[in-house]
Amino acid sequence: MLAGKGFKKVFNVAGGIKAWHAKTAIGPQDLGMDLFSGKEEPLDVLKVAYSLEQGLYEFYITMEEEAKNEKVKDLFAKLSDIEVKHQMSIYTAYNDISDEELSKDEFEKMVEIKALEGGLTTREYLDLFTPDLNSETEVISLAMSIEAQALDLYQRVSSKIENPQSKDIINQIANEEKAHLSSLGKLLDNL
Amino acid sequence: MKWMQFFTPAESLDFKETEAYISQHPGDKITILDVRQPSEYQESHIPGATLIPLPQLSDRLDELDPEKPTLVY
Repeated sequence: MLAGKGFKKVFNVAGGIKAWHAKTAIGPQDLGMDLFSGKEEPLDVLKVAYSLEQGLYEFYITMEEEAKNEKVKDLFAKLSDIEVKHQMSIYTAYNDISDEELSKDEFEKMVEIKALEGGLTTREYLDLFTPDLNSETEVISLAMSIEAQALDLYQRVSSKIENPQSKDIINQIANEEKAHLSSLGKLLDNL
Repeated sequence: MKWMQFFTPAESLDFKETEAYISQHPGDKITILDVRQPSEYQESHIPGATLIPLPQLSDRLDELDPEKPTLVY
């Protein structure tokens, strides 16, 4: 998040504090940016955002399957539910500004899947961070790092988008990601 | 399914490298940023670390000096 905002030199401190080791970011700064060209109309922005949220949803579902601890499983289930709600609000926003109303099925068929291509598999992603899936603290920390990356992506994209209406939509989604991040933080405080 | 990578770049330092980096740079020339929750910060943190929990970070970036090397954990 800092590296994209003009900070000259940013280091991740890895390994020192175990619960935080999952926050290491990888890849060049423009990774993920090719999801958005900057010229998108609002409806296109919503389609890409929807597929991104689908990625988050599937990630949490996979984590839920892998976790052994019941409490951790429940937590993943809750997190994936949140992404479903997020997708619903994107879908609603789409119908709000679209000329023709689409059913959810029709909308999903239209949504681009390129966000999910050419990246890491869920397994590879997990191998990268090797979280202890039975530790609630680690699970929530990992979820926070994912949400933070999504927030970071939306904020970087927002500065690139020219159409004011698209910009508003992306900012709104970014704010929702920020709210997710806050609620995960509170969850961590209350463990 | 495949997961899109959408990450920003940052070098990683392990704890030893971090210690060395901090000892080689005067405290006012670097920023040590703790982005964990306040309860975790209270439990333990790197001396001199500034606490800005991750959920607040994007709103409070102006509290930090982008010119200074920033160590984040």
